[in-house]
Amino acid sequence: MAKRGKRYSEQKDVRVDFTPMVDMNMLLITFFMLCTTMIKSQTLQIALPTNEKVEQNEQNKAKESEAITILLDSDVDENGVATKEYVYFYEGIAMITPDGSDSNLQESEFLGNEDGVARGIRAVLQKKNKDVYTKIVDLKAKWKAKEFSKKDEVNDSIYKAKAKEIRNDSTLTRPVVIIKATPRASYKSVVTALDEMQINNISRYQIDRITHDDSTMMKPYWDKREAAKK
Amino acid sequence: MGRVKTEKKKPFIDMTAMSDVTVLLLTFFMLTSTFLNKEPVTVITPASVAEEKVPEQNLLTVLVNPEGKVFFAISGDRDSTYSSEKMREAILTNAVETYNKSHSQKIQLTKENVKTFGSTYMYGLPFAKLKEWLEMPLDQRDKYLDPSKPEGAGAGIPIDMNKDLEKPNEFQIWMRAAYNTDNENFKKAVKSGLGVAIKADASTPYEVIEVVMDNLQTLKMNKFSLMTALKTEED
Repeated sequence: MAKRGKRYSEQKDVRVDFTPMVDMNMLLITFFMLCTTMIKSQTLQIALPTNEKVEQNEQNKAKESEAITILLDSDVDENGVATKEYVYFYEGIAMITPDGSDSNLQESEFLGNEDGVARGIRAVLQKKNKDVYTKIVDLKAKWKAKEFSKKDEVNDSIYKAKAKEIRNDSTLTRPVVIIKATPRASYKSVVTALDEMQINNISRYQIDRITHDDSTMMKPYWDKREAAKK
Repeated sequence: MGRVKTEKKKPFIDMTAMSDVTVLLLTFFMLTSTFLNKEPVTVITPASVAEEKVPEQNLLTVLVNPEGKVFFAISGDRDSTYSSEKMREAILTNAVETYNKSHSQKIQLTKENVKTFGSTYMYGLPFAKLKEWLEMPLDQRDKYLDPSKPEGAGAGIPIDMNKDLEKPNEFQIWMRAAYNTDNENFKKAVKSGLGVAIKADASTPYEVIEVVMDNLQTLKMNKFSLMTALKTEED
């Protein structure tokens, strides 16, 4: 009995103080939180035509009824940083009066959606791409209801394949969008314009250089903006 | 008095549970995160609905700051034959060789110099300053790349609207050197359009981007990607 009692007294409660351990862990966590990223950037893929000189008659000209040209411009401050973005567009070919005071150029804005209804340039593009857009909307509804497959992955892949098919369907009237930006237009507006192509499911678009006609058309708008500033 | 003293026991808080939680959090952070690469200029990329993620391997990033200064970074293959370091070293040797062919002032690099280049994530200086820069200590090198510092006034790879590949500009020399390493996976990535990415600040004027795009077009790298932040599509 005496022996037993002794043994009990030796079995003391061993308690390790974990406080320094916790301190150290917290420090490490802070370090990791500050030095790492979890958000990965996204990429927007674009393909530009080759830079080689193409003969004028070899260029495949877009059909007039299908073409829409978007002109991008920005107001800049004294450091050349864009302060406000402007969007102009014209359908078909550029039409300017001989004195350059009037043209078929219209002003618009990047407004996005409001209550599910497209506004600004998005509404214009959506109208142009109505054939494709309505089909995609139908398809999307089916995708949301998981009509293609109960499995998420299969459902997604079927949706994507079908959407691609619709976008590239040459029997539908699909617009050709030409995006042109002035030298002072911000990079942001170019990306937003490219983004609109994705949102509106436009498969045919290109980035082009601004021409003399384009700047002549924009001149009245520039004057107006200058006047508004004063 | 004595009785009161015995009641004043030292409180012992069991930190084991707390420790468990912190270790768990730590493991989570270590597994999910990737380290930030040191970039000489911070840019805020514009947002887009594009969902494709930036690849981690075989990527050439062209960083453009709002003033039009150009930098580039390379990440190689995961396997050791074409690791990022090896890729950078190969690019440097290639580029210097091309440069020496057309310039009277030849650049002679030591092994040490090449190694230093291999360990730097991003580079952006004219060839004329390359050797000098590679021999600086690390903190000085960072300063010379940062355009916001007085030392970094000359940062950025010289670039212009050059269409004549017989006389390439410095940017074109670098891009070609990158393409002409023996890393076939990188070549494939470039051809598919995932190999080259432009990372530019949202407020950069388009004329600056246009020069970069034009150069890439001239180099027949006309498929490339633009780095953007994620924006959700409003329905």
